Amino acid sequence: MKLLKIAATGLVFAATSASAQTEITWWHAMGGQLGETVNQIAEDFNASQSDYKITPVFKGSYEETLTAGIAAFRAGEQPNIMQVFDAGAATVIGAKGAVIPVQDLLAANDVAFDINDYIPGVRYFYADADGKMIGMPFNSSTPILYYNEDALAKAGVTAPKTWEEFASTTGPALKEAGYIPLSQSHLPWIFTENFHSRHDLPFASNNNGYDGADTEILVNNDAIKAHFSALKDWKDQGLFEWYGTGWGDNAKPFEEGKVAMWLGSSGSFGGLVQKVDFPFSATMLPYWEGVTAEPKQTFIGGAALFAMSGKSDEENKATAEFFSFLTSPEVQYGWHKETGYVPITEAAYEVAKEDGHYNEFPAAEVGIQQLSLPAGDNTKGYRMGFYVQIRDVMNREYGRILTGETDVETAFANIEAESNKLLERFAKTQN
Amino acid sequence: MADLTQTQIAQPTPSRLRFKWNTIFDHLILIAGSLLMLMPLVYAFITASYDPVTIHREGLALTFGDELGSNFEKALFEKGGFTKTVDGMVMLKNSFILGIGFAVGKIIISMMAAYAIVYFRLRFATFAFWIIFTTLLLPLEVRILPSYEAIQRLGMANTYSGLIVPLIASATGTFFFRQFFRAVPEELVEAARIDGAGPVKFFIDILVPLSRTMIAAIFIIMFVFGWNQYLWPTLITTDESLFTLVRGIKQIVLTYSDAAIPEHGQALALAIVAMLPPVLIVIFFQSWFVKGLTESDK
Amino acid sequence: MKRAGFTNPWLPILLLVPQLSIIVVFFYWPAAWAIQSSFYLQDPFGFGSTFVGAENYTDIAQSIEYRKVAWFTVYFTAIVTFLSLSIALLLAVKADNVLRGAKTYRTLLMWVYAIAPPVAGFLGIMFFDQSHGPLTRFFGFFGWDFKLGVDYFDTATAMIIVAVWKQIPVNFIFFLSGLQSIPRSVREAALIDNNSGFRRFWDVTFPLLAPTAFFLLIINITYAMFDTFGIIDTMMKGEPGANPMTLVYKVYLDGFRGNDLGGSSAQSVVLMVLVLVLTIFQFRLIERRIHYT
Repeated sequence: MKLLKIAATGLVFAATSASAQTEITWWHAMGGQLGETVNQIAEDFNASQSDYKITPVFKGSYEETLTAGIAAFRAGEQPNIMQVFDAGAATVIGAKGAVIPVQDLLAANDVAFDINDYIPGVRYFYADADGKMIGMPFNSSTPILYYNEDALAKAGVTAPKTWEEFASTTGPALKEAGYIPLSQSHLPWIFTENFHSRHDLPFASNNNGYDGADTEILVNNDAIKAHFSALKDWKDQGLFEWYGTGWGDNAKPFEEGKVAMWLGSSGSFGGLVQKVDFPFSATMLPYWEGVTAEPKQTFIGGAALFAMSGKSDEENKATAEFFSFLTSPEVQYGWHKETGYVPITEAAYEVAKEDGHYNEFPAAEVGIQQLSLPAGDNTKGYRMGFYVQIRDVMNREYGRILTGETDVETAFANIEAESNKLLERFAKTQN
Repeated sequence: MADLTQTQIAQPTPSRLRFKWNTIFDHLILIAGSLLMLMPLVYAFITASYDPVTIHREGLALTFGDELGSNFEKALFEKGGFTKTVDGMVMLKNSFILGIGFAVGKIIISMMAAYAIVYFRLRFATFAFWIIFTTLLLPLEVRILPSYEAIQRLGMANTYSGLIVPLIASATGTFFFRQFFRAVPEELVEAARIDGAGPVKFFIDILVPLSRTMIAAIFIIMFVFGWNQYLWPTLITTDESLFTLVRGIKQIVLTYSDAAIPEHGQALALAIVAMLPPVLIVIFFQSWFVKGLTESDK
Repeated sequence: MKRAGFTNPWLPILLLVPQLSIIVVFFYWPAAWAIQSSFYLQDPFGFGSTFVGAENYTDIAQSIEYRKVAWFTVYFTAIVTFLSLSIALLLAVKADNVLRGAKTYRTLLMWVYAIAPPVAGFLGIMFFDQSHGPLTRFFGFFGWDFKLGVDYFDTATAMIIVAVWKQIPVNFIFFLSGLQSIPRSVREAALIDNNSGFRRFWDVTFPLLAPTAFFLLIINITYAMFDTFGIIDTMMKGEPGANPMTLVYKVYLDGFRGNDLGGSSAQSVVLMVLVLVLTIFQFRLIERRIHYT
């Protein structure tokens, strides 16, 4: 029945496409001004040629978009392109047959593709175990440290390179100068996932989960436990403050000038320019010298575009053309400039440099530089199922650590146990 | 009456004094209550007069800024979305269709069902009764994915009926009408039968006019319920021309981790716009509403 | 059923068909779907699945966090129900007492009824904003360092305040109409018998209001358990973290947000059973009431 329906719609499209444009749809989760930028990109694509027409549809939050896409897929009504966020990647990639790997899609439609054209930290996050790119990175960002230049000047310090430096020098000096030295906006992303990447520590078994579904999380390790113990100490000493799990709640005190340094996303840059009235800049995510002497690259957060399967060849061709348009240096640079998300290709990065974008806004380059640092064995990303819930577990336990409801040992034991239970359950969904 | 005068004569002064104090006390409580209930709305309205950056930095305000007109204008008339056809007015229209369609659909369907259950000798009446009333409390959130699949299979995605029909599934309306019909005097049916009126005539000529206030009360409750839906319209519509107001508000509010500053002034303006129609309906029909509830409750 | 009912054989069936068919398609079929998938762990796209028997249920039963959520739901429901009923009753009694301005008060108190839950939650976020929320400042004035989204207790308090605020008008309207349907003669007799307003209320008015109160009790319990979803969802700001949540929100988190169909279906089934018990309880109460009135 379902198949018949898909076949029927395919036929209808095949019949009409001879005379008319091929129309494709793109479900995304970009609200507000980002949504406007998405619409602009789609309009530009439609204006750039006359064979294809793309229609973007805002489907709510990341989670709502993914679930709407899944429900639609089950009913044979899926869009051509679906935006899926980092934590949902395992669900989509795990469901073999739900999506066409972007690399295959491009190859089948004669669009040149070389994974090495992409910025190192972007390349493998949405790839499979063999390094084949499955989802096309779209709004990509990485955690960096923003700082209030006035605050640092007043305290007579520079932005810390390492956490040791923060604990001994930067933090106390900023506190002395009347600031709350530090806040951050996403504990699982910044202080867990990218913590492991930055220090080149394994985050999960099976090559961070890329090699199979029977994965176990390796989060209960000494380095990260020491980090969270330090974080709790800093909070007690007034060197760090936590304003809840919400992103904006932690960014706001920085924007208001109460907090001197804030760990956020490289994609926050565009908004900060509008929101703050003090000079600010950014630097790379600090690391523990005691853990590694050679800090590695971080990987990307944000979301990727997946080409859904079950569509006609004409439509897939249109999707491939759109991806080709989207990854062109000009579009990428425009997106980067407009939103603060990193450009995903080296070529786009070059265009941005030539245009003098970073002379004007040096902080806008930090994310790309950090993504281009040397890679290690554990820096390409992670692939874990039910990861949305795993992040929820982390957020819950981290919140309890920071409000003093639990201690670091218990919290990490809980995270490990509950995450592994979730992973075990997820593995059973994949048979 | 005589007793009353006697007591008043017995202790005239304290009683009257206390009476007055009581009244003042009553008014004080009511004023305090009204203030507490309405303050948030006053705040929302005034804050809707600021630009997003000010709201982002300073939060709610109690003195007017100068963006009130432009925020409302943008909220109502600025064409948004990809097709550049969606503005507040379109969303307003869709919310009306959803609210009215849902309320009217529900009233018709549930009146028919309640009529069948209360007024007919039916062998499987108890069975039908339980089939309907077990659905009384199960919310849509819990059965949303399969409902979506059903709508897709029926080809009703992106249609007004797809928006409305699944929401009608719960039996609240049937429940209210059942209670009401049971309280209608038996003599009416008997009289109608003596006059030779059949069930259809009885229903249309007697029962429906008799239920006027009840219908009004249920219409208001259901209209507000339909009007305020968020999750279902978000899931079921991909066509921008079908977006509702509550969805529009959520789309603006949703930008928590967004790089850009959320347009909270516009969201508040839209929230006020979204609030007005149901409030006006409630206030306009309030006497019917209250009467309907009173009668249903016997 | 009416004693003097009609005996037409096919008309009632015709009348029931629309309601029954909608219910079968959008209630029974989804419910059956939920029961079936609660015994599986399946890939949401529908490619892989494993029959796991009662594992989804035993996982719920063993989960400490699920128990915490269940307990919070109980507390939250009890407090929201109690507060919104008692405040509304107080206001309704006062509005019924005063002769002048009763209609004005009624109009003023009805406004909030029409607010969409997500909008109520959005206003809640702004009122309890950590740096400049008016209510945060208000609590700060009394030395309460109110932290929405950080402190579990504070977040729960904020959710309860918003949920109660939103529900007061409905209860107020029902109570007021209940009060106004008490016949004049009864009130006057009560006035003669007893001079104290408070005693008069408990001895005469409240028993007459009891049917309304019972009915509202059920309405409020379901409101607190289910319809507060939009408020809680908005006040979480997209991240549940260590914040308090209700059972229906947990179903949404695991199923809708996390795509764990088996686990969330099992939770749905648990909720359905709970709701069924509540419905049966409600009908027994109402049927009894019908008998003695």
